[in-house]
Amino acid sequence: MRSNRVGWLMLAPTIAILGIFGIVPFLYVLYVAFHQWNPFGANPHMIYNGADNFRRLVFDNEFLTSIAFTLKFAFFAVVSEVILGYLLAQLFMREFPGRGLFRTIHTLPLIVAPIVVGSVWRLMTTPSIGIIPYLLKSWFGYDLNIGRDATMAFALTVIMDIWHWTPLVTLTLLAALVSLPKEPFEQAQIDGANRWQIFWHVTLPMIRPAILATVFIRLMDALRTVDEVWMLTGGGPGAATRYLGLHIWKIVFPKTDYGYGSATSIIVLYLTLVMCWLLYVALVARRDQKRPS
Amino acid sequence: MEHMVDLDEVDDEASTIVASPQRTGFLPIVTNWFDRVFVGIYLFVALELFWMRFLEQSIPLSVCHVLAIVLGVLIVWRG
Repeated sequence: MRSNRVGWLMLAPTIAILGIFGIVPFLYVLYVAFHQWNPFGANPHMIYNGADNFRRLVFDNEFLTSIAFTLKFAFFAVVSEVILGYLLAQLFMREFPGRGLFRTIHTLPLIVAPIVVGSVWRLMTTPSIGIIPYLLKSWFGYDLNIGRDATMAFALTVIMDIWHWTPLVTLTLLAALVSLPKEPFEQAQIDGANRWQIFWHVTLPMIRPAILATVFIRLMDALRTVDEVWMLTGGGPGAATRYLGLHIWKIVFPKTDYGYGSATSIIVLYLTLVMCWLLYVALVARRDQKRPS
Repeated sequence: MEHMVDLDEVDDEASTIVASPQRTGFLPIVTNWFDRVFVGIYLFVALELFWMRFLEQSIPLSVCHVLAIVLGVLIVWRG
């Protein structure tokens, strides 16, 4: 009993912080989601309206469209980051001149605030002053204008996210690769396995936990991206890059519709949890179940 | 100093803690009770949203509440 008490005592600060900054705000948002509340509207009071906010949500075409755009964005960004991050991690495993310098430069985007990343990319892609439209025009004759071209605006948000977050994937996978024992690789080479077989049957299974953790982190981040995209495209042209985070921001801040914004946030949290859980089931739970005990 | 914790004792006690029982029901994975409550809540919310979007004009939402609760109980009990 005494050790139990000590255990709870040691956990108490974490539980208190989690409660104050995680659970209480979540419960408050859940409470607000069942109310109509616009403090700057004609009636500034909170009025209980049952599930009306959620009813409005399932018929809100802008919201449904933004879910589709966000999923597309998250898919392209996360898959590209994991593939590119793995390749770069493999590159950093090898010895080559200037490796330390290259690794430092490669990690720099991680320390830049997302709002600054968005601003820099905005400057680089603005027609007439940006370097990217200038180079594309002079080299390929392509006229880049993300204010008009929805596909290019979407592609650039993905590229910007890849540029910003691939170093995180690289560092995580590099740590995983460095910590791998040498014996299984030597054994595989003795057995005559080729590079692809070693990757598929030895490396990948051994770094699977690191890949999964990275995918979960990046997926959750990609589903709630706001500031970078807000700076780069402002959600446009039209609603082509109006991802869920941006959609919620527009409901909550410019429109000050707190009740509806809370309901939207709850559904986004729900979608994120569902996706992560499904991914976990597909990649971990079912596999562990198949493994003979 | 009387209240010092014996780490060996703590380790012994920790090793005797039994993990929550897992089982295989009609769900395609091995679950414990928390997993089943989790899946039950997921499906409850999904069913409610689906009902509001497609069926509420013809069938009242209270029918969905009953169905969703029955489904949740079934998942926790047999899932």
